[in-house]
Amino acid sequence: MLTEFRNTLRRSRGAIIGWGLSLGALGYFMMGFYDTLVEQRSSLEQLLANYPPEFMAFFGSTEDMFSPAGYLSVEFFALMPVVLGIFAVTAGSSLITGDEEGGILDLVMSYPVNRSSLFFGRLLGFAVTLAAILGITWLAFIGGVAASEGMDIPPVELMRPFINLYAVIFLFGTASVLLSMLMPSRSIAAMLAGMLMVASYFIQSLSTINDDLKRIADFLPLKYYQSGYALEGLNGDWLVGLFGFGLLFAVLAWALFLRRDIRVSGEGNWRLPFRLSFGKK
Amino acid sequence: MSDTAILTQALTKNYGRVQALRGVDLEVNQGEIFGFLGPNGAGKTTTIRCMLDLIRPNSGTLRLLGLNPQSDPVTVRAKVGYLPGELAFEGNVTVEGTLRYLASLRGNTMDWNFVRQLAERLELDLKPQFKNLSKGNKQKVGVVQALMHRPELLLLDEPTSGLDPLIQQEVLKLIREARTAGATVFFSSHILNEVEEMAERVAIIRKGVVVETAEVNSLMRRSVRRAHIHFEQAVEVNGLKNIQGVTILSRAATSINLQIEGGMDALIKSLAKYPVRDFETERPSLEEIFMAYYEEK
Repeated sequence: MLTEFRNTLRRSRGAIIGWGLSLGALGYFMMGFYDTLVEQRSSLEQLLANYPPEFMAFFGSTEDMFSPAGYLSVEFFALMPVVLGIFAVTAGSSLITGDEEGGILDLVMSYPVNRSSLFFGRLLGFAVTLAAILGITWLAFIGGVAASEGMDIPPVELMRPFINLYAVIFLFGTASVLLSMLMPSRSIAAMLAGMLMVASYFIQSLSTINDDLKRIADFLPLKYYQSGYALEGLNGDWLVGLFGFGLLFAVLAWALFLRRDIRVSGEGNWRLPFRLSFGKK
Repeated sequence: MSDTAILTQALTKNYGRVQALRGVDLEVNQGEIFGFLGPNGAGKTTTIRCMLDLIRPNSGTLRLLGLNPQSDPVTVRAKVGYLPGELAFEGNVTVEGTLRYLASLRGNTMDWNFVRQLAERLELDLKPQFKNLSKGNKQKVGVVQALMHRPELLLLDEPTSGLDPLIQQEVLKLIREARTAGATVFFSSHILNEVEEMAERVAIIRKGVVVETAEVNSLMRRSVRRAHIHFEQAVEVNGLKNIQGVTILSRAATSINLQIEGGMDALIKSLAKYPVRDFETERPSLEEIFMAYYEEK
């Protein structure tokens, strides 16, 4: 398990550095604009009032975007489940089936490694990769807060929305791992997980202005995502729920992996029960 | 400890509606080199992958070194060295990095000097990244990783595929050395001369069923052979037609071509009354025998 964990981390180091530094740089510079934003509050409020509510719905509540929590939500955390979610679903779908489709798993699984060790070693590597990306970003945020005059958030409080964000992207990641065990190929699993994630984002965002969508949004993970408002305190039940479903998806994926035929070159793929044909007969 | 290294009984495997294995029966003794023959899609790789619990058979019995790979896959794999038909690995890792990672999956228990020795004998450079290797060099990595822990059982899927003739010979030498050290070798191959040269016994698989298992020598003895007989003068050879197992393929005034099934004794005795100048027999290659199974059965 330790070998697979280390190997997964080694393979993810580029992603950790790339995503971590990019998001960190974004966060750091974003903090610098907070003071300016507060200074120009009245003109910005006027500007925001002119935007259609359908557009503003995607930024969360803008009523208090001049508070640190509101600002972090609108400028960063509202979009992050989708931005970092793209990494999570791509990495999640590749966690097992990437190597399987590349023929690497065929060799690795011929070694004395049991399936559970391989699965959980990789899953742990994936979980730590996500934590490392958010950890680097959090450190950059701490730097940004220190450089800002108007922001005064202790590092531990600043960690809260990152924990909340971690729970959501971990859930998207494990859902993608599960789909990769169910779908005929890694790319279909990633596509489906990505579609579910984006649809979830749209429905949750628009549910703030549409009552019909509210009922659907209750079943979506982003409903239980607090965004930047987690600064004011984490909702323990929601957090446990998000982590709980993330772990449930991981356990289901593991159970499927235990029973799985390791594929090579498309061997053992299931197919659609009908033929898709375009144009030619 | 069981004397049987590999035992499969009525092994079946379906991929949806496709029956890849339709009841494979095999028994490979410990310490022997066993060739597994069959064209693409016959079920060779599927059988080997069932042995390693990479895929699960639908029914049948499977034992490797007396162990059930499904209930005890880690112990089985610890004793086995496997060379897949096409070796793939992470492209950005060097050959040495690849071998060190694979060694770590075995708990780093092998002698690294032996690994270097194997690499040297196969003229494998450990420094390049895996993605920059030619097919032949990837195959060498595959051979090294299969042998590096001195396994009790070698499962080799086309071991010399993509290698130049000199390295092919070195690989065959390494396989023989592994056998001498006590390993059992089970290998599939398309290169029938190689199987003929290496294997003591072979199994021929066709459409998911083993159609023949035999010692290579006996398979060749049992098979049809051809004889070309030249006489000192024109003769009437009608008498040869009545010998059991002998078929006249063609004849000329002073020569005749025959096909003989089974023993030669009756033919040689009958020829005693003819003025024979020359007698040539042609032993069929394993390839011809193999092809005969595919054409006739």
